[in-house]
Amino acid sequence: MKRFFAIIESPATRTFLLGLVVLSFQTTLFNTLRPFGVVLQVMLLFSCASGVAAGSEAGAVAGFIFGLMYDMVLTAPMGLSAVVFGFAGYMAGGVNAFVHEARWWAKIIAVALATATAVLLYPAASLVVGVDGLLGSRIVTVALACAAFNAVFAVPAARIARWALVKPVRQAVWAE
Amino acid sequence: MIVVLLLTSILLVTLDLRDSGFVSGVRDTFGTVFRPVERLTNVVTKPVSNAWRGVLDYGELRKENLALKDLLVKQEGTAIAAAASVREAQELLALNGLPTLAGIDSVTAQIVGQSPSNFSQTFELNRGKSSGIRVGMTVTNGAGLVGKITDATLERSVVMLATDPEYAIAVKVGNCPANATTTTAATTTTSLPAETTTTAAAAPSSTPDGVTTTTLPGETTTTSSTVPPTTTTTTSTTTTTSTTTTTLPKPTTTTIKGFTPFSTTLPPRPGGSGSQITIPETGGLVPRETGAMEGRGIGRTPIIRFVQASERLGALCEGVPVVTAGGSQSLAPPDLVVGTVARVVNRKGTAGPLLEVDLAANLGSLNFVRVLLYQPATEIPR
Repeated sequence: MKRFFAIIESPATRTFLLGLVVLSFQTTLFNTLRPFGVVLQVMLLFSCASGVAAGSEAGAVAGFIFGLMYDMVLTAPMGLSAVVFGFAGYMAGGVNAFVHEARWWAKIIAVALATATAVLLYPAASLVVGVDGLLGSRIVTVALACAAFNAVFAVPAARIARWALVKPVRQAVWAE
Repeated sequence: MIVVLLLTSILLVTLDLRDSGFVSGVRDTFGTVFRPVERLTNVVTKPVSNAWRGVLDYGELRKENLALKDLLVKQEGTAIAAAASVREAQELLALNGLPTLAGIDSVTAQIVGQSPSNFSQTFELNRGKSSGIRVGMTVTNGAGLVGKITDATLERSVVMLATDPEYAIAVKVGNCPANATTTTAATTTTSLPAETTTTAAAAPSSTPDGVTTTTLPGETTTTSSTVPPTTTTTTSTTTTTSTTTTTLPKPTTTTIKGFTPFSTTLPPRPGGSGSQITIPETGGLVPRETGAMEGRGIGRTPIIRFVQASERLGALCEGVPVVTAGGSQSLAPPDLVVGTVARVVNRKGTAGPLLEVDLAANLGSLNFVRVLLYQPATEIPR
């Protein structure tokens, strides 16, 4: 029983469960709300937020997991979103390397920059694997809209990501 | 760790691009786990989505609804006439042993989801393998081609829209038809004395395809000719020394833009009212060019490449219909309506022109679609 709860409380399980919930929001609510015709990227938001909350390496792993889950519901080649989101998580985590304790505005800037980079990187990565035609002027609108949205929700997302990724110091009472 | 992730990504991309069964198996399993969570979230977030739509789209929807009502009234009559024509065409094709869409079963499905990506253009249908849907099948709606099935599970399937950059299909494009000429009254009454032969020829100097009628002595005859609107030459030749009186009333010509110009009007019977029967000439049918239509992404019209401009076949112009080419290697059966040519972009050299296509189906407001249970040979798994 103790082992079971340990598994449930592990960062990997939490990240997966968080990803499942966020993905369901991505494919339902955020698929309907399309400001300027742009699908807001919540999965990318949580990838970047993971980096901000737990550092570059953890951000890369979390981003990879979120991206992989996203790839499962897309028709794009599997692994493409994973590598792009992983990079975004790693990049956003860089804020912890530059600043000892990042302030809220630093987190916002890091998430916005990482988001915009990932949105621009995705068509380029697609081009590498032979999926042509995604690079266009519209990509700028998509990058700006996604970056703005993710910047607004960066701080609460980082808190949720921290819950998922940072192992609690004390185990829950029922797990003892 | 970063290197491991990168290598894993490369491995997954490679496996997926090579249509690995492992990747599709993982996707199916994940879909089974994820679907209940998605449904639950959909129920919870539905009020928010509805409120969003209500606030932003209400006025637009009202206007669109009124416009659609008007359009519906106008279209009803046309649709009935078109249905009759389609039926006739299908009967003719069946009589000649040619493939028709009528012989292909179909499944109606509803769109239940859309791709959450900003790049891919896919929809999810509420029907899957249990309804006979397979990867590669063509999806249409009442207006025309919508796309093709790219993934199918037991109860769901994914449609890639024709505007997706990864979509390509062989199509036929009709060449620009010359302006049509219809002859409404071309009755000639000639009274000739004995041993008189009169030849009435009406033809442009460049195309000597006018109708020639020789009248017998003492007879009264009527002649009807199709005359191109621009150059009309009427000659009257008398081969004997006797007097000849020939009256050739000038035919009334009507120019119809975009209508096929080939028709031969038979001469009405003597004493008849001048009613005409038109027979299309097979030699004058508007030739069609074959090309490959490719999607270009959201907000951009698909284009047709590899269309060779040829003087022999005629010019390409806007407004001509685009239909699927068919064939053993094609993704869709032949003569499925795709849309019309919206713009012709001429390119230098031997590249041939590019055609932008205005799709007949409105991909922005799809609800129910029809999946043709026709799996192309290229999409059947080995």
